[in-house]
Amino acid sequence: MGKHDGPILKVEHLNVNYGAIQALRDVSFEVYAGEIVTLIGANGAGKSTTLRALSRIIRCKSGTMTYEGQNLAAMRPDMVVKAGMAHSPEGRRVLSRLSVYDNLTLGAYTRSDRDGIEADLEQQFKRFPRLAERRKQLAGTLSGGEQQMLAIARALMSRPKLLLLDEPSLGLAPIIVREIFNIIRELNDQGVTILLVEQNAQLALQTANRGYVLEAGAIKFSGPAHELAVDERVRQAYLG
Amino acid sequence: MEGFITTYGFLMVTMTLQAMLALSLYLPLMAGQLSLASPGFYALGGFVAAVMSKSVFGFTNQQVFPLPLVFVEMAVAAAICAVVAILIGVPALRLRGIYLALATIAFVEVVRVVALNLEITGQAIGIFGVPQPFSRSFDYMALTLPMLLLAIFFVYRLERSRVGRAFSALREDELAAAAMGINPTRYKVLAFVMGAVLAGIVGVVNAHLLNTWNTRQGTFDVAILVLAYVIIGGSRTFLGPVAGGLLLTALPEVLRAAAGIQGLPAPVAQFLQDGRLIIFGVLIAVGTLFFPQGLITPRMFRRWRAAHPQPAAARRKEAQA
Repeated sequence: MGKHDGPILKVEHLNVNYGAIQALRDVSFEVYAGEIVTLIGANGAGKSTTLRALSRIIRCKSGTMTYEGQNLAAMRPDMVVKAGMAHSPEGRRVLSRLSVYDNLTLGAYTRSDRDGIEADLEQQFKRFPRLAERRKQLAGTLSGGEQQMLAIARALMSRPKLLLLDEPSLGLAPIIVREIFNIIRELNDQGVTILLVEQNAQLALQTANRGYVLEAGAIKFSGPAHELAVDERVRQAYLG
Repeated sequence: MEGFITTYGFLMVTMTLQAMLALSLYLPLMAGQLSLASPGFYALGGFVAAVMSKSVFGFTNQQVFPLPLVFVEMAVAAAICAVVAILIGVPALRLRGIYLALATIAFVEVVRVVALNLEITGQAIGIFGVPQPFSRSFDYMALTLPMLLLAIFFVYRLERSRVGRAFSALREDELAAAAMGINPTRYKVLAFVMGAVLAGIVGVVNAHLLNTWNTRQGTFDVAILVLAYVIIGGSRTFLGPVAGGLLLTALPEVLRAAAGIQGLPAPVAQFLQDGRLIIFGVLIAVGTLFFPQGLITPRMFRRWRAAHPQPAAARRKEAQA
């Protein structure tokens, strides 16, 4: 299936429940190859839930999720990673008692091409020089920004075509946030499609091509990022 | 020397067996699963050995039991334990932390109560006259010491393998591991099965060593004792459980021996003799206070490695492997 045939990711009428509580209602959106698409919204709007449903960490009740023509709902999390979709989870979740090196090699767990993995490791160290200096250090001893870099680098180790980034700015100093977002743009320039979840709506809309606004589990608005950034309703609710 | 071996041969063999039991609890723990099921599989292994040697192979207590048949029993016990572990593991490993511990304790109880009621396991009386491959307890060392070394080597290699790294990722953060494409269920069940197989094999040897097997082997008490080995020894490296199993098995006997030292005041000797289990308990409590991470910690290894640097080339090779 060629890149220009349609969206790389297409979500239609997705419903997810946590017990009796409905976390996502009838969510539909698409991501085209080469884009940066952002999901913004308040705390608890269902942004992380959407990413977790996509990477099959949580089960969905109904709806379809199609990635490059494959039905995601029929796949296990490891198959999703193998198919080329990587998830950098909220709160970084680096393996704190393992070294930076071990965290990165575990990111390539679904791959078996030794030489390719070795080359990608070097590439990550080039991209994130701070990680190179700390390759033997335990991940738990890194600063928040370094941990976020490690979480992104780890996700890249599976050589994803589509990268799901959950709140990469969470709890980081503004200067580090800028650094991280520069890297996100750089990755996109290198051909990685990105689905970005952010609470920092302003920054996300500056970075993305298109955006979707989630509210209480449903998509409220959508459109080109620069239009959403000036939309009066979005401004009032999320940009302050 | 001869006297020492006669007196302590049995203890030394038991120490090696208990160290292996501790490893059998450590294996699921490597993947972050606190399972107390080891004694259940240990009991199962013992019954396999007792029933097979007497009823299937037809040996009596008076005959020397051929060692190759012990290996056959081990293979059978390993297979049975693996199947049972998969059947139990798939549903039970959906539980986490203390709930998994409770469920596995329930399994230990189920094995005990079933054995208590089945004809083939000798009900409350158990099975007597399990034939022995060795005439002296100490001679079992020829079997159990290589077994322990093999088990240690296996776990050592495992920790450095692809599977071992998946285990440690699961232990650290199950969600992150799943996001990296590690299938949590598969690896948790695998770790649980490996622990079950090891415990079952230990049961086989112990049934021969004890000459008898019954429902008082592999009970809840054993689960707690084995957990103590792992916690006191250290739960973050494979040497911790081994050290814990060896030391805590020897400790009560060391205290008993201490009571026999000449010239001790009679009340002290008396207390060492009668109160040695009290001292044992106090030492466990004190041990956890002063060594909260256990006696052997990964930090000790790092310090040792820092003091004995390897050539860089060898180190890189190891990191790649």
